[in-house]
Amino acid sequence: MKETPRELKIHNNLKAGAVVTEGFLGDDDRRFHEIIQEDKTELIKLGISNQDLAKRMEYFTQQAFEYYDGPVVVDDKYKVEYRSFRGKIICPFAHPGVYRKGEITLINLENKIKVCWTPLNIHMIKEHCFFEGKGSKHRLDPVILVKALY
Amino acid sequence: MELNAFIIFIAAIFTSNILLTNFLGMCSFLSVSREVESSLGLGLAVFFVLTFTTAINYLVYHFILIPLNIIFLQYIIFIIIIAAFVQLTEMVIERFSPVLYYTLGIFLPLITVNCAILGVSLFMVIRQYDFLQSVLFGAGSGIGWLLAILALAGIRQRVRYNFVPIGLQRAGLSLIITGLMALGFIGFSGIVVIQ
Amino acid sequence: MLISIVYTILIFSAISGILAFLLVIADLLFANYGECTININNKKELKVKGGSSLLDLLNENKIYLASACGGRGSCGFCKCNVISGGGPLLPTEKPFLNPEETKENMRLACQIKVKEDIKIKIPEDIFNVKKYKAEVKEIVDLTYDIKELTLKLIEPDSIDFKAGQYVQFVAPPYEKSKQAVSRAYSISSSPDNNDHIQLIIRLVPDGICTTYVFEYLKVGDKVDFTGPFGDFFIRDTKADMLFVAGGSGKAPIKSMVEYLFKRNSNRRMVYMFGARVRKDLYYVDYFKEFEKKLPDFTFVPVLSQPTEECEWKGKCGYIPPFFPEYIKDPSKTEAYLCGSPGMIAAVVKGLKENGVPEDKIYYDSFA
Repeated sequence: MKETPRELKIHNNLKAGAVVTEGFLGDDDRRFHEIIQEDKTELIKLGISNQDLAKRMEYFTQQAFEYYDGPVVVDDKYKVEYRSFRGKIICPFAHPGVYRKGEITLINLENKIKVCWTPLNIHMIKEHCFFEGKGSKHRLDPVILVKALY
Repeated sequence: MELNAFIIFIAAIFTSNILLTNFLGMCSFLSVSREVESSLGLGLAVFFVLTFTTAINYLVYHFILIPLNIIFLQYIIFIIIIAAFVQLTEMVIERFSPVLYYTLGIFLPLITVNCAILGVSLFMVIRQYDFLQSVLFGAGSGIGWLLAILALAGIRQRVRYNFVPIGLQRAGLSLIITGLMALGFIGFSGIVVIQ
Repeated sequence: MLISIVYTILIFSAISGILAFLLVIADLLFANYGECTININNKKELKVKGGSSLLDLLNENKIYLASACGGRGSCGFCKCNVISGGGPLLPTEKPFLNPEETKENMRLACQIKVKEDIKIKIPEDIFNVKKYKAEVKEIVDLTYDIKELTLKLIEPDSIDFKAGQYVQFVAPPYEKSKQAVSRAYSISSSPDNNDHIQLIIRLVPDGICTTYVFEYLKVGDKVDFTGPFGDFFIRDTKADMLFVAGGSGKAPIKSMVEYLFKRNSNRRMVYMFGARVRKDLYYVDYFKEFEKKLPDFTFVPVLSQPTEECEWKGKCGYIPPFFPEYIKDPSKTEAYLCGSPGMIAAVVKGLKENGVPEDKIYYDSFA
């Protein structure tokens, strides 16, 4: 399918070496809007919207942030830790705005599932419904994410 | 043709509207008609391109293609001239109105492949118009396209906050509205025949 | 048959050629904005060839506005005050400007195309910013994820900066990155050494620039950077100074302390350095030495999650609870913070609770 120059620019930004070294696509060779579409279908099956998921991730990020980068136990069920770094990066979706660098790790103490995300991931899930390509280091599979966060 | 050039001009705007009667030039029509300001900008750009390319294509057809017996090249030559002219239009817009340039974005170079532009030039050849008729036909088609896109933009703005079923949102409803407008314009048919 | 093919191709090429020629003339006519003048602060006037962005034209004339995205309109760092001649506000600039800034005619330099004479106002210290070429003289591992680079300046061969400022370091395209990127790092050496600078860099997972520094940069390599930038520097008063840093945030603090030591400052200074475990600490002995060398300096390392093997006998926990112990007179205390956003937010809250006035709390804005 033909891509507009803007989509081509976004695709290049998502590949390795443009915004981050490993890129956001992993070893997935689908186009990014196919990835978004499939994840959107997945979310509908799970019965939750990307906005709610992003809000929940923001809640945990905020808790860890206020507790001086964590680790902190939230609601007696989740252990969250925030490793933040100086500096900001741009969103690969080619629109204005910069986002903090950092790694937030959450361990669900009940089912022992561990997930890891960055502030940029929260923005990409909220505004673009983008969970990163399969095989990417920070791939957030909606199914696993929901199991971990709820 | 013995038709008065001015009649052709009026007919091109209303009774043989290139968009609502011949259904040419739909893609940017549907995409840009979301906002009235950008519709006005794009409509004026299309008018500008249509008028001048029809005139230039007439001259090239009659003074180069026919004498040299290479009429079969008309499709390619027309498209090249349209492409060059659209480039020129882009430069002019970028110079004099950078805000419009940014707002139109990719739709400015897409005027090149707007089938209305090539369609008008080919109609001019098929219907064997003379120079004045061709220019006024081009200008009239441009104004007709501008009117149609402004009308759709206005209607879309009006319908924006109404309830629309999910399947019909955006393109679906726009096509239905365009169809209804075209039905309205059929009322003009038969008043003047310029085919 | 053959003749008509050749004939056709010739006519076709001729028409295309004529059109291309006409477009070139049009381009020269329309895209040529002639010579324009950039008036800076009513003091300096630059004669430039119109048509490029304000940021690029200033850079060509060796005036460097801060930019993290290289002029792509993504970071918003290149804001400047355009008094006249900037044209209408573009939709690509609007997301970065709040209503006050729009009223004051703040614009993004990378988005303005200079087409006529333009008058701008920029902070005076931008004139001090230059593009430097340097050679890597030394790379030292301070911890498992922090390195210290010593860069000897080649061209220009000296730099004038205030302790606490930062530079934009350029990582060139390499195996893992397709284009050059620039990232901000604070200078950790004292401004008294002006023929070289030192940078303390912490590895960011997946970071393009830090991966280059950690895996590809070698002693002897030539690097580029632009600077100095930043409003984080020592305020020349007699107030007590409280330094709080974490991770690579020690860099500007080290520069400041060395600067104050050279001048034998007798201001009361407390430096609290926060880390998680013992292996995150570095330069501990170096700063402990300053307790003897400076009239009134206290170094307080604090570990938030010490483990058994750390064998830590110093302070444990987070920094804010220790403020009452170390702040003597909050109204006469200046706080200099450098570290991750989480640490800064928590520390600012703690300082305000302890009575330190908000306008006396200073920190780097690029964190």
